[in-house]
Amino acid sequence: MNGINSWPHMIVVCAGLALTTIITRCSFFVLPASFRIPSTIERALRYAPACALTAIVAPDILARDHGYAFTWHNNDLWAVLIAAAVFAKTRNMLVMMAVGMTAFTLLRLYA
Amino acid sequence: MATPSIAIAAWGVVTGVAMVKAGLSVPIAIFMSIVVFAGSAQLAVLPLLHTGAPLVIVWLTATFINLRFVIFSAASRSYFSRLTWRQRLFAGYLNGDVGFALFMQRYSSAEERGNPEQWGFFYGLATLNWASWQASSIAGILLGGLAPTSWGLELAAVLALVAVLIPMVTRLPAILGVVVTGIGSVATAHVPLKLGLVASVIAGVTVAVIAETHLPKRPSAIAEAADVAAHEGGYAS
Repeated sequence: MNGINSWPHMIVVCAGLALTTIITRCSFFVLPASFRIPSTIERALRYAPACALTAIVAPDILARDHGYAFTWHNNDLWAVLIAAAVFAKTRNMLVMMAVGMTAFTLLRLYA
Repeated sequence: MATPSIAIAAWGVVTGVAMVKAGLSVPIAIFMSIVVFAGSAQLAVLPLLHTGAPLVIVWLTATFINLRFVIFSAASRSYFSRLTWRQRLFAGYLNGDVGFALFMQRYSSAEERGNPEQWGFFYGLATLNWASWQASSIAGILLGGLAPTSWGLELAAVLALVAVLIPMVTRLPAILGVVVTGIGSVATAHVPLKLGLVASVIAGVTVAVIAETHLPKRPSAIAEAADVAAHEGGYAS
């Protein structure tokens, strides 16, 4: 667990995370007004968040400690696919959350 | 004003529940929420913290996800350039998804950029957002401890991240980048130290950038962020 509930460890973790919040949000607010970024870097900035979110979500759904969960019984996968379809249609987080968790619970209890 | 507050509150409750379900104790989860103040990054690093990933990877992942704020700050800096350095630092800290979106929705076509009315609107909005985010997040943390583990509420964190992801993936370069990252990150899921995560993000971003340069020219990311916020109310609403 590497001390997920050890205060000294988590203070260091959170201090670093807070720094990333502050540096990214304040970046252009405190840089000189003449500062520009090259267009290739700007393009990379556009795609980095989506790719990073994917790199967290995809293994979380499909990989396990040892091996993979490519089976019809992967309840997480079905729930996420259903919720994603609902969100793409409605853009409403509360509705997608309710549908996703309901789907997951029904699969868990009856599938 | 009511709708964005409800959206933030829902988002905060989910983040709070997810933090506790990922194994954080209640006091540490509250500390993290108050200090870090970036919901998507908090949710994303939870599985990494859980598996004991190296700190550098944890911070790097949060930075990748927070890079959208660099675009927000570039898109809205002209409104704040007349403030002092310290005031800009404070305004920047508060310039998250919802604050940016609502501010740009209201003032993106303003003739004068950066006047007391705009700053007043921004600070009022941003402090309200901050307070409702923290209150709902703490409520989620406290509630999360009460829910039985068998309910599988860990999944709520994944669903929340999917809700942030989907609006970002509307065009071909982003779709290609996400597919490449998805395949890469699953294939490398068992590589030690989560190095597969970093490699697959770099691969996905590279593919997306190359794809964009081969497609008809589109507005810069900065111009587009302002435009999206002005018309659709941004990402996480």
